[in-house]
Amino acid sequence: MAGKTKTDKTGVSRREFMTGGGAALAGGALAGGALGIPLPAEGAQKPGAYPLSTGYLVYDSRRCSGCQSCMLTCSLVHDGEAGASSSRIQIARNVFDPYPQDIQIFVCRQCPEPLCVKNCPTGACHVSAENGQVRMIAADRCIGCKTCIDSCPFVPHRTVFRVSAGKATKCDLCADTPYFSKKGGPAGSQACVEVCPSGALRLVRELPPQKDNAGYDRDLTAPAVKS
Amino acid sequence: MATPGFAGRILLVNLTKKEIGELDSARYEPFGGGHGTAAAIFWELCVAPGGWDLQDAFDPRNAVALMTGPLAGTGLSYAGRTSVSGMSPQSWPVNWFCHSNFGGSFAPMLKLAGWDGVVVVGRADAPVYINIVDDRVTLEDARELWGLTTWKAQEEIWRRTSVHYGREWQELGQGQTLQRPAIVTIGPAGENMTRVAALVHGGGSGAGQGGFGGVFGSKNLKAVAVLGTGTVKVADPKAVRDSREWWETRWPVSAEFPGPAGIVHSSCMGCRGRNCHNRNTAYGRDSDNCAEAGWYAVAPPAKPTPQDVQLRSADIVQQLGLNAMETCFMGPMAFPVPPDFPVQPSVPAYTALGWYLKKMYDLGVIGPGTKFDTSPLPMQDYERGEFADIYGLAIANRIGIGDLLAEGTVRFAEKLGRLPEDFDTLLRLTAWGYQDHWSMPAVEWCYGNLMDARDINNHDMSLGPKPGLECADFVKILAAGTARNDPFWFDYSWQGERAYQTGIYSEAKARFVAWRQHYATYYKESALFCDWAFSNLYNRNSPDGRGYTPEAEPRFLNAVTGRNHTFEDGLEIGRRAWNMKRAIFVMQGRHRKMEKFAGYTYRPGASYCGFALELPVFDGSRWDWVNCRELYLEDRGVEQWKTHFYNTEGWDPATGYPQRRTLEELELKPVADTLQSAGRLGSPP
Repeated sequence: MAGKTKTDKTGVSRREFMTGGGAALAGGALAGGALGIPLPAEGAQKPGAYPLSTGYLVYDSRRCSGCQSCMLTCSLVHDGEAGASSSRIQIARNVFDPYPQDIQIFVCRQCPEPLCVKNCPTGACHVSAENGQVRMIAADRCIGCKTCIDSCPFVPHRTVFRVSAGKATKCDLCADTPYFSKKGGPAGSQACVEVCPSGALRLVRELPPQKDNAGYDRDLTAPAVKS
Repeated sequence: MATPGFAGRILLVNLTKKEIGELDSARYEPFGGGHGTAAAIFWELCVAPGGWDLQDAFDPRNAVALMTGPLAGTGLSYAGRTSVSGMSPQSWPVNWFCHSNFGGSFAPMLKLAGWDGVVVVGRADAPVYINIVDDRVTLEDARELWGLTTWKAQEEIWRRTSVHYGREWQELGQGQTLQRPAIVTIGPAGENMTRVAALVHGGGSGAGQGGFGGVFGSKNLKAVAVLGTGTVKVADPKAVRDSREWWETRWPVSAEFPGPAGIVHSSCMGCRGRNCHNRNTAYGRDSDNCAEAGWYAVAPPAKPTPQDVQLRSADIVQQLGLNAMETCFMGPMAFPVPPDFPVQPSVPAYTALGWYLKKMYDLGVIGPGTKFDTSPLPMQDYERGEFADIYGLAIANRIGIGDLLAEGTVRFAEKLGRLPEDFDTLLRLTAWGYQDHWSMPAVEWCYGNLMDARDINNHDMSLGPKPGLECADFVKILAAGTARNDPFWFDYSWQGERAYQTGIYSEAKARFVAWRQHYATYYKESALFCDWAFSNLYNRNSPDGRGYTPEAEPRFLNAVTGRNHTFEDGLEIGRRAWNMKRAIFVMQGRHRKMEKFAGYTYRPGASYCGFALELPVFDGSRWDWVNCRELYLEDRGVEQWKTHFYNTEGWDPATGYPQRRTLEELELKPVADTLQSAGRLGSPP
């Protein structure tokens, strides 16, 4: 079993570039430069170039039970088939790692300056005004070039390539879920949040702090405050 | 095209010939998947061809199957377990065809790789492990893994692939993944072919009963690793998700396995929150919070073994790959003996190997001055935590007296010359040598043990008093849940004629046990619903007390498969698989005369356990809950019950052999023909 590890143009692997789920970079901001390591992609956007998403998926990796129900449900409501590889949220678990490193959660951050959107050559990856400005990929316009995947500054990348469909996809907060009997999107329900038995996922309205990962991986012990 | 929920293929590996093939799983769908399908395959591969006596589980011809159910990997909850089947070295005196199962993520991952199961026959000439990445299946050299603990073996398999699992997307198989392979493996206990060896997956998901770890060892098979990048197709995706929400909303989960304060729980893949495992304790990484966590409990509850010692001991069990329920000390069943209890004041509810060892030492049967040297065990330090380490290592590696202990409790007792006498007093074992597990006074459990091959381990009957509910109304709820509506299935009258009319020796009780075995064989062992959640006849969280059985099971299954089966259809699949098992048992030598309980079952004190003692009893005019802690069985009643049971099943009451009519109505005519050729077909009614 041989795996391939993707490296950027400098030869620095994504893993070497950024550990801990995007601890240094936030959506193409230049924090990486300050750390003396290469930038993830060319042409980072100036703040304000894109309207902010009206919803963000945050999580509490310390509460997660590792059941991965969110993953199977995500792929089910989006694609009509349950899968791990095609899930837009990823729970990676190693039971032999000490708590809390035993569970790593990777979600799309709905970046304020989304390089996946900026670099998409067809406009398939877009900011959806109809769906609360969520960053999403229109499957009918995706040509499977993986530019969005290569553009994602986080490790592992949060855009997902569905090999069986030959197209990329990403978390759209359930805006385009033909197999979800509820209204999704930032103003609706998210299948992963609803299915989570541990209260480890939540939708928030305000842009989480982008400096590091703490804005997304947060203590969800406190009850949600409706906004 | 495979029915949705099924991948359509079962991997068949012959380790002797180093051949990798596959079976069409659609052929076996009438057996439901899981254990039912494994039984049908076992019949085809091991029984029908003839040529061996089916007595030795370590024979290379034994087919061990790891099977999924149709719900695995779909996101439905409590439904992703992996079934393990094959002849079992733990079963006594015959290595019956048997089953176990384990949780975690193995079954979903196997399904995502495009397989409904893995069947292994033969014996490799050197240690190997089976590596599955989607379609690609290889036999890998495991010589350097041999001798490693279950945990180290898994980490080593991950390490040798040089893949940064969980950190970066990997292009593997037919797709990409962030997941690491799911691995089920054995430790030294399995390698050394002990009869108390488990299969261990992850930190603490294990299949203990049956001793299948030893079967892996006998085949030189260290592990099976699987990584799937595909998907599981379902008939109605919306219905799948909605049915889970319907279930969780209508029957909310109550606090389960809360454990000590501060524990952060973890669950099997897809689970809605049973939380059987934990993430953050100092020891016991991902260990099961049940049997293993209480494995090394040597003192009565008044002086409990310190928690840190217990948790560290749980790690020993997992890493060595030992069957915790078989080898524990006083174990999770270590309830205090009431001072007024009539008999066996010094015998715990659970007389597992660790406890029995000490008892034999105290009685002078083993140890100084006897022919049974207890080295390397420091018996004087029995209550010190270090003892557990040495005890586990001695068994797993067959060192000193560990070689005898590795044969399991019943064979250890046999070697000491203590049988059958200890069955009357000190050993609370089932007819087939498994640890009794609060099987009485709720007798459907002990009857199930007798008719199956192991401790059936079905926890699904909650029969005690319910606040605000009359007993008569309660049994109506239970009866409705079975979809057969006979309240007398739940009459636990055990004395006088009432016991024979409607109580524990009655035809009603025989029908209930048959129903329960059919239910378990399909829904729990083949569709692989988790025992901690199914069946559910009564539910305290529902307004009317009704549980989710019989609604939830077909609703889930139909959403996935699109077959529109009724609950009864499922029971019929279970009956078919159950009869297939019966035919295998019969070909192994099972006969009515063998189906006798151990001696203690027929003596006062048989029902001792710490709780769940109050059961519904009908006195001829009204129902009430009665404390049945003094319930024991009488031989005449058991024999009557057996006759009722065989008749209910369509088996010859004189022999217990299935009758042709029964098998043919289940579309098992070839099975009937084989039994007839062997002279083991039941006489017509």
